[in-house]
Amino acid sequence: MASIARKNLFEDIPRFLVAQAGIMFAVSLVTIQLGILKGFSRSTAIVIDYARADLWVASKEMVAFELTSPLPADYINKSMTVTGVDRAEILLVRAGRWHGHDGKLSPARIFGFNPDGELFAGWRLSDGNLNDLKQPYTAIVASGVQKSLGLDETRIGSIAGLPVTIVGTAEDVQSNASSPFLFSSLETANTYGDAEINSSINCIRQASGDLDCTNSFKNRPLGQKNGDLAPPKPLSLSDPISYVLIRAKPGQDLPQLKQRLLSALPETQILTQAEIAAITRNYWEVRTGVGFILGLGATVGFIVGMVVVGQILYASVADHLREFGTLKAMGAANSVIYRIIIEQSLWMAILGYVPSMGICLTLGQWTQMTRGIMILIEPSTAAAVLLLTVVMCMGSAIFAVQKVTRLDPAIVFKA
Amino acid sequence: MTAIDFKRFFGKMAPSPSSPVRVMAKETAIVASHINLVYRNGGEEFNALQDVSLTVKSGEVHLLMGPSGSGKTTLLSILAGLLTPTSGQVHLLGEEITQFSRPRLAAFRLQHLGFIFQGFNLFPALTACENVEVAFHLKGTHQARRQAIELLDQVGLADRCNHRPQALSGGQKQRVAIARALAGNPQLIMADEPTAALDSQNGHAIIELLRSLAKTSGRTVLIVTHDPRILDVADRVTDLEDGKIVTKLTKAKPGQQ
Repeated sequence: MASIARKNLFEDIPRFLVAQAGIMFAVSLVTIQLGILKGFSRSTAIVIDYARADLWVASKEMVAFELTSPLPADYINKSMTVTGVDRAEILLVRAGRWHGHDGKLSPARIFGFNPDGELFAGWRLSDGNLNDLKQPYTAIVASGVQKSLGLDETRIGSIAGLPVTIVGTAEDVQSNASSPFLFSSLETANTYGDAEINSSINCIRQASGDLDCTNSFKNRPLGQKNGDLAPPKPLSLSDPISYVLIRAKPGQDLPQLKQRLLSALPETQILTQAEIAAITRNYWEVRTGVGFILGLGATVGFIVGMVVVGQILYASVADHLREFGTLKAMGAANSVIYRIIIEQSLWMAILGYVPSMGICLTLGQWTQMTRGIMILIEPSTAAAVLLLTVVMCMGSAIFAVQKVTRLDPAIVFKA
Repeated sequence: MTAIDFKRFFGKMAPSPSSPVRVMAKETAIVASHINLVYRNGGEEFNALQDVSLTVKSGEVHLLMGPSGSGKTTLLSILAGLLTPTSGQVHLLGEEITQFSRPRLAAFRLQHLGFIFQGFNLFPALTACENVEVAFHLKGTHQARRQAIELLDQVGLADRCNHRPQALSGGQKQRVAIARALAGNPQLIMADEPTAALDSQNGHAIIELLRSLAKTSGRTVLIVTHDPRILDVADRVTDLEDGKIVTKLTKAKPGQQ
């Protein structure tokens, strides 16, 4: 069934398309900004989300997943002695400098875990196998970061002079806030983490009895060949680790287990998976200001969108002012005209929203695939943007309605 | 043929049979008494209408004539309830509309008045039929499409039902506007320069149509015009100048002006 509002909209197709382009711009702006904000927020803790641990043992000083102080590796054994613990696994989080095959330098975040473990690597592999990580100096790379690591078909690089062979790709696991992610075995990650710089202290006792000490730092040589390498050193109980992931025995009361772990492991905090994820997201969103900036972007997008839609609708009403005046002169109540304007604004909202959402979803997939940047448009986000679009259009319609309210019906007699 | 969904907008507009705006036609259709309209611009005052009194009998064709700026259209706007005078009273069909609230005025216009405009004021996005249907739907009339086609047939445009205004000539547009003004059979038709935007041939056709309307249906027709050809159809002519009535002529004949 046709309507005056719809007929007014489609009366001049080029004009309609120009107006819709404006609305699509506004909707896309809001969607992308919100998607980036949500994608950023989710991605900062996505590695945690993929894990299957009930509890995480972290340093008391931990402020975010990638910003923590070390724990002794023997905490895994201590954890296992706590009643109610079914399984415990070590997780290492290390930083490294990646030398690509093209010679370019890039920061990298290296996660070390047990490839036979059950608690950490819940993510999907698009190629490769976790067992491949049992080979020394191998890693799985997060999808979308291959370009920034300069990875080509040879899939090799180096960290601190040690070779890295990429044996697989993990999907949708990269944090937008972090360096490219590499996943290795505990031994390989530990070796990469320790290998960056060799240091030594030489001290000489002076005649006065004082000690004169010299601390020497030396970069490891680059370009060592695999054949020259010793295998990665096994993790010892004195090595620093980042986290212990805990799986509780079935039926365990987690708050009580947390208390028991806290008593057994001094200087730690015991967190559920949701808690550590929330702490990490909060850190990035609040403490770094990145979340504020992205939130501001979304707000600005909404305001710009509102202004654009408002201008379009106001101009459309101005174009049809004489027609509205004619309706008023004929005896139509204001409510009749309001309904026409509001219906027109709703049509504009829907017809602007649908293609915009399609564009944004496509764009989100493209950025995820090519750059590893997550623009998260969940059904709830899409619904929220639809609501926002309707609010934008209806809010803009209020300005147009006010113009019609003030309209002098005697305008109809002005030639 | 596309049925237009005006009913969604206008369906609730039909007044009930007991609506207070429903009035009986009286001997005099329009009585305007001592109408004054003063525009104020800063400290200055401009008298657009000064002590204008006018009576239009039911069933007559009454012309308002005068030079540009004489206040004809302003008076028409006041008589139609579109403009509120500074002082004075207007009675339409026995009701004092100057006492009406805006919503009641709108309802009164809807039920009793039809308008014909110099610039046609058709909805460009709608077809000829849909333009006429708008008026029927505003009045809450059922079978609006059938009645719209009947009215277009009366003005000789039944075959243009599905044409948009831009596909019609000036004369055809004005005939669609006349058909729209007739929707719901209003007792009063008010026309503002209905032939001004038309060439001689189309102007003549519209004059003939207005003559036929007035003489066959017994409606009261008030026309603001410069066009001396319309004098042929007029029962009375009122001349305005500088916001004042200068002459009132009865049973005007061609060349009498």
